[in-house]
Amino acid sequence: MRALNEIDFWRGFALITIYINHIPGIYFERFTYRSLSLSDSAELFVFLAGWSMRLSIEGKGAPLPPGRLVLRLGGRAVTLYIAQLLITEIAIAMLAASSLLLDAPFLLDWHNASAVFRAPVEANIGLVMLTHQLGYFNILPLYVVLMALAPLIALIDRYAKPLLLPASLALYIFTLARGINLQTWPVEGVWFLNPMAWQLIYVLGFLCAAKEGIGAFARKHRFWLKLAALPVVLFGAWAAWTHFSPSPIDVPEPKLFFMFDKTFLSPARLTHVLALMTLFAGTYKVITPWLPYSARFLCMLGRNSLNVFCVGSVLSLAGQIFRIAIEGGIASDAFLVIFGLSFMGLAAWLSEWRDRLRETPASQASASLPASS
Amino acid sequence: MPAVDIAAPAPLPNLAELLKSRKVVKILAIGSSSTLGIGATSGIQSYPAQLSLILEAALKGVDVEILNRGVAGEIAESTAERIRSEVALSKPDLVLWQLGTNDALAHVPLDELEETVKSTVEWLRENKVDVVLVGLQYTSRFAKDQNYFAVRDLLQKIAADENILYIRRYDAMQFIAKTRANLDMMSRDNFHLNDLGYHCMAEHVAHAVIVSLYLRRLRPKAP
Repeated sequence: MRALNEIDFWRGFALITIYINHIPGIYFERFTYRSLSLSDSAELFVFLAGWSMRLSIEGKGAPLPPGRLVLRLGGRAVTLYIAQLLITEIAIAMLAASSLLLDAPFLLDWHNASAVFRAPVEANIGLVMLTHQLGYFNILPLYVVLMALAPLIALIDRYAKPLLLPASLALYIFTLARGINLQTWPVEGVWFLNPMAWQLIYVLGFLCAAKEGIGAFARKHRFWLKLAALPVVLFGAWAAWTHFSPSPIDVPEPKLFFMFDKTFLSPARLTHVLALMTLFAGTYKVITPWLPYSARFLCMLGRNSLNVFCVGSVLSLAGQIFRIAIEGGIASDAFLVIFGLSFMGLAAWLSEWRDRLRETPASQASASLPASS
Repeated sequence: MPAVDIAAPAPLPNLAELLKSRKVVKILAIGSSSTLGIGATSGIQSYPAQLSLILEAALKGVDVEILNRGVAGEIAESTAERIRSEVALSKPDLVLWQLGTNDALAHVPLDELEETVKSTVEWLRENKVDVVLVGLQYTSRFAKDQNYFAVRDLLQKIAADENILYIRRYDAMQFIAKTRANLDMMSRDNFHLNDLGYHCMAEHVAHAVIVSLYLRRLRPKAP
């Protein structure tokens, strides 16, 4: 188990926020930070994923040989892909089961699930190809693509460092200028989170985690960057509060550069999330002494982010179904939040318990079981 | 049934203006399963596909291009996000926003729904894009659901406040269900429409749009 740290803390925070934001209509959604922000927890999560990618390949020892590096990151991409297939299948089964139990056939259409039941031949191919995604189950497909690109990102960073940011930026600019996106199938449409645009924030997270380059620059000029970030964050709060969004008629072409578009991660959203993180960087050290248990809890969630994310995704769908079956009020919504957070905590704790058992020799493990259970 | 019971006419100023000079109209049909056409036997039976044929026949010489962007099971907040993207990318002249059913099912708080719809409608108006709200369907399953009624009434209130066209699909379908019991407009799940249901829906929307387009021209001048 790694020591408490800022990245795990904010990842844990993002995971909780994603869980609440993925139960539409829940009373407590209004208290999540997107009510006062241009960007939301998805941007935060992907930036931190890029940061964690560097941590996973740069330990204290000698750098990983290229072959090992590709294997490690490629293996992680496969794990994420399997996780996406698994939680999507569980979600489909939950919708099917609840449609039977509640006698509510409309649940078969919930969040773009219809094709699975109405065009299963095509939809099953689409699920495996990641071209068919359920609503609110669209962050992991993005993460799979980014992790599949991670070996390339890491190798460019190692052997042609100055090329990485310009290449990523060029792909981002080309994508927004042309409005290109990956297509979905069998339901005609596009990916909700466009990997060709979102790769930039992942690369920025990866670069900011470095001891040199952008990362070193940001740490050296922290004060001035915080000063510059403040008006951006205040503008984001004002825009969210007043529902301000630029007029597509008034802005020049290519319009995606000037809109607040989430699918294409328009520059305004990208700048906002970078400013938000700059402004709040370091606050972890201030928060932890005041709220030690909450900080430890968030770090525990962040350390086991994939498992917690999967459990959180399934639980948020369960929460939606719960709110359909039993009309949501503040009390039942509070129950959903407490139940969800407890279960996500349990998932993290179980993951670490399993890891500890693996690390402990079998004889010691069996001796320690009664004490642990 | 009387046309005014389907939708009280409301001005479509931008569409009416551009029809004077242009012969191509781009319509964005966005919403959830009723827009996508769940329950229809094929995509060409969805209400937007049928609507384009009816409008082209009625507005002679006008080419109607319809973009269908229905995502099944989606609530208004997610659709609102897509509307902003789609309007920026495809620049439609008219947006047909079918909404309400999933928000009613998900028990989205009414104040949140009102905020979402009003801010999006006002944003569209500022951008000179006309909008028509297409309300929730009538189904015997929710014939006594207070929350379902509340969402229906809220949409009607928003449309009145904003002076925009609102298709009272619930009332139209309820009227037909009560007076033409042999006309089955629902698919087997008793929730989505069937081909006939979508055809009626397309006719209702087309009728309301056309009446609203010629509203000023037909309304007698004040003495």
